[in-house]
Amino acid sequence: MTSFFENLISTFPAFMEAAWMTLRLTGVSLVLALVIGLIFALMKVTGVRWLGIVYNGYVGIIRGTPLIVQIMWLYFGITQIVVLSAFWAGTIALAIHSGAYIAEIFRGCIQSVDKGQMEAAESLGMKRALAMRRVILPQALKRAIPPLGNQFIIGLKDSSLVAFIGITEIFSLSMDNAAVTFKQLEFYSIAGLYYLAMVAIVTFVLSRVENRMDTAK
Amino acid sequence: MIKVEKLHKYFGDLHVLKGVDLEVAPQEVVVMIGASGSGKSTLLRCLNFLEMKNQGRILIDGKEVDPATTPLNEVREHVGMVFQHFNLFPHMTVLENVIEAPVHVKKVPKAEAIKRGKELLEKVGLGDKGDVYPEKLSGGQKQRVAIARALAMEPSVMLFDEPTSALDPELVGEVLEVMKGLAADGMTMVVVTHEMGFAREVADRVVFLDNGMIAEQGDPETFFQNPQHPKAKQFLSRVL
Repeated sequence: MTSFFENLISTFPAFMEAAWMTLRLTGVSLVLALVIGLIFALMKVTGVRWLGIVYNGYVGIIRGTPLIVQIMWLYFGITQIVVLSAFWAGTIALAIHSGAYIAEIFRGCIQSVDKGQMEAAESLGMKRALAMRRVILPQALKRAIPPLGNQFIIGLKDSSLVAFIGITEIFSLSMDNAAVTFKQLEFYSIAGLYYLAMVAIVTFVLSRVENRMDTAK
Repeated sequence: MIKVEKLHKYFGDLHVLKGVDLEVAPQEVVVMIGASGSGKSTLLRCLNFLEMKNQGRILIDGKEVDPATTPLNEVREHVGMVFQHFNLFPHMTVLENVIEAPVHVKKVPKAEAIKRGKELLEKVGLGDKGDVYPEKLSGGQKQRVAIARALAMEPSVMLFDEPTSALDPELVGEVLEVMKGLAADGMTMVVVTHEMGFAREVADRVVFLDNGMIAEQGDPETFFQNPQHPKAKQFLSRVL
């Protein structure tokens, strides 16, 4: 047990750097995923047939294949065409992955808004796009916050999979340390602790946001 | 003001409106009654193109509205609608509900819209409720806000789709009072309702729908005293 704490302390600076990488991967990929998710959800709810087909294809493929496969597709596939750093290959793969789940969250929340809201907006002379922006989306986005928070936490932990394309983040750092020291259990537990701490912070921030949204309407 | 010619509407195989002809003159108050399923709400919603007709013609202000070629949002600016379930925007305050369309559709300057909005809330007896959210209001208050919201677009005709059907009985009166006031001001109104007292007192004409057709229509006095159509007799004997 003493060696566990010694290892925890001695690797602290390296892990803090790795944690910063994990946070950047997660943060950038989730911002991109929110944009992707919103665009696809809006495509789906227009009711335009071919847009719906594109949506179903995207969500179907992403949800139907493992994230690690998608990361490999992007890293080994796209980089044959364009020059992409491992960071951006990993970030984009994570963004496309989370984007599908976030699209489903947005779609569900938009469709859960009572249809009388759109009717009322249209009866006042609002075009559909304006009604969507002013009336439907504010209500839908508020409802999306709890499931989005859940998805953010999943995204944070899923970022560990980019370890396999050579990005030094928490999981890959613990793999390296485990390989060198043969203390696998210790270093993967250390990785677990860092994730636990980061998820705790994210959870705290999300609960604050949820509380604020409830009172502010 | 509004003219409907040989209107047909289907929901799948269900033939809901079977060739309805209806004309509403300026400043006229037309009350549509009939059993549930008779097509009265569908007819009303067709007038605002929330339901699309399958056959027939709809003329608003003398111009035929073809949904394929006419921008419906422009038509709807002149046709106010009040719904059974109010459909207020829950994320906006009462005043924001009222000024939303004037500001974002008509591009009325915000200060002017607020001034006008407050006048309208005053008119429906809710001058002190501008800053509260709809969830704090009773059903009757919500419906009065919905009326003010529709009036804020200065429509030339107001459609009411069972405006008191979702209200507790003791709240029906306050909404009907506002509607009576509107009728007295000369607003053109088409009202679907089960409030026979309102029909009798306020309507210029009562239209009785049965099975997707106008079975009988006339001035309320004659209609309620002496209905001709057997279905109308039957209906009135049940509701009066």
